[in-house]
Amino acid sequence: MTAQLPQNPGPGPDLQGPVGPAPAVAPAQSTSELEPTAAPAPQGAPAIELINAARWYGNVVAVNDLSFSLGAGVTGLLGPNGAGKTTLLHMLAGFLAPSAGTVHVLGRSPNRDPSVYRQIGLVPEREAVYPFLTGFEYVRFNARLQGMRDSDQAARDAILRVGLEDAMDRPIGTYSKGMRQRAKVAGALVHDPQVLLLDEPFNGMDPRQRLAMMELLGQMASAGRTILFSSHILEEVERVGNDILVMVAGRLAASGDYRAIRALMTDRPHTITIRSSDDRRLGWALMADPTVFGVELGTDNLTVKTAQLSAFRRLIAGASRTAGVRLFEVVSGDESLESVFDYLVRR
Amino acid sequence: MALIETQGLTKHYGPVKALEKLDLAVEPGIIGLVGANGAGKSTLIKILLGVIPPTGGRAVVLGMDVVREASEIRKVVGYMPEHDCLPPDVGATDFVTHMARISGLPRSAARERTAEVLRHVGLYEERYRQIGGYSTGMKQRVKLAQALVHDPKLLLLDEPTNGLDPAGRDEMLDLIKRTGNEFGIAIMVASHLLGEIEQVCGFLVAIDAGHLLSAAPITTFTARTPVLAVEVEEGSDRLAAALVGHGFKARTDGDCVLVAMENEALYDAIRDTVADLALPLVRIQQERRRLEDLFRDPAPVAGNPQ
Repeated sequence: MTAQLPQNPGPGPDLQGPVGPAPAVAPAQSTSELEPTAAPAPQGAPAIELINAARWYGNVVAVNDLSFSLGAGVTGLLGPNGAGKTTLLHMLAGFLAPSAGTVHVLGRSPNRDPSVYRQIGLVPEREAVYPFLTGFEYVRFNARLQGMRDSDQAARDAILRVGLEDAMDRPIGTYSKGMRQRAKVAGALVHDPQVLLLDEPFNGMDPRQRLAMMELLGQMASAGRTILFSSHILEEVERVGNDILVMVAGRLAASGDYRAIRALMTDRPHTITIRSSDDRRLGWALMADPTVFGVELGTDNLTVKTAQLSAFRRLIAGASRTAGVRLFEVVSGDESLESVFDYLVRR
Repeated sequence: MALIETQGLTKHYGPVKALEKLDLAVEPGIIGLVGANGAGKSTLIKILLGVIPPTGGRAVVLGMDVVREASEIRKVVGYMPEHDCLPPDVGATDFVTHMARISGLPRSAARERTAEVLRHVGLYEERYRQIGGYSTGMKQRVKLAQALVHDPKLLLLDEPTNGLDPAGRDEMLDLIKRTGNEFGIAIMVASHLLGEIEQVCGFLVAIDAGHLLSAAPITTFTARTPVLAVEVEEGSDRLAAALVGHGFKARTDGDCVLVAMENEALYDAIRDTVADLALPLVRIQQERRRLEDLFRDPAPVAGNPQ
């Protein structure tokens, strides 16, 4: 896993190189109902690859010189509103041609080569579903669009996967937001695509449905699919996976494992908060070690600043034993995805 | 006086039972309202506003009956709907002033309150621009402002952070907290995001399929459990094995080792074992129950953490 953190946001930072784990070359596993129409990706090509891709609308630059590649696994697409996330997903789905640069999905250009659609599933953010179709009809419609032989069975399987079986024969117009969202997901994965693109898939789902959807994305990722989903709910992204792509103002702010991205932020010291049987004594002992450059005593805790997190983590247990101090609690202050995102967007 | 009280509250839409004999008593504060889609949250909010009558039972808001005193209730209750409901072709100032006038404020008071409340929600120069050109975050602020303009005693907020990005969410949650804590306005927040509820609310009401699932202070759902989590960068299996060897109940969970807290000697055992094995220690923390367990277990048992 290579984490990327462009230090210089100017034009042409070197962002090449695979971001995700090994590129997906495994063939789809459950292709029993799938017509063998889709040509396999060229060997070794990453599932998703952008090279200096840009998209502008008139004078508005939505995506600016974006380069990255993704292999199998699940990646969270993050960024403030207006950062260009939806434009990126639409370019990957073939709705939009890049204004400059290259966008490749499974080694092919989605807006020029329709055969790649057989391997792409898209859950759009907008609720563009026909209200008069039942959930089942909508999903089967998608299966037929994908040229599947047994579209009835495929639709039933997909509906089962999202847990919509009780409502599948009701018109979508009567669905709640969370149900519509799941119908869209079922429609996007009915042909078991290699690449799944989801724009705010959790929107409108209730807590139970969210848990189920997180699990589903995790399962598909471990089955070798490439999944890119946008979300604003960082604690959920953190639970689905560690890999993120962060866009700010049309540019790639960082990509890779968020913990590795955090480690690259050498200008931000790590803070660790400790509760112990004798905070003052422990602070005094830790300050003696060169990996620590600051300790602060709180009313009932001790905050330690270090630039070398790994070294500190190897030090702390032994140092407290030597000092004869009992450790009650050790918590990292700013290692969460939320703080990483905050640092990236505010920089 | 209870803020909201319902007894046997029932609402049927034809064959659909949206609420079924709901008994609820809530005191003022910031209250989270959660439930599955279709659990009856929106129905409950509409009944509390006096907009739709219940099929059976009764509901009392701030001491007033929702059927007999509906218009009195709306004078002291502010409502922020979930859906996009703002007129695109007027400015925020004109719109919020209009809403204040509808709530019965005289013209000059409506203008003054509008200025105050727009500043409170963080809308400044842009208040004169047409709402149609606002960002999602600005629109959410206008919706909150119109709910606050007539100085209500209770605010009902339906998914106030919907569509907001992380920074926008934080600002909105902060605003809700300030409105509740500094102005002493009781607030009921409906949301699907349990993390948010945990952050701002002091009390939680969970409904499921029209029934009350749970109503209790947030802290009862997030209480500490007698389990200590020890996270290491590597070697969690070795750590767990060593702790078991010392007679503790420990098991691994990824990079974490979960140990049953039996006595104080455990802390020393963990410290010494980590030091002996030279493992990089990431975290030692007592485990807490999580709000989402409420939606995981078929029947949550209060006060029983495991």
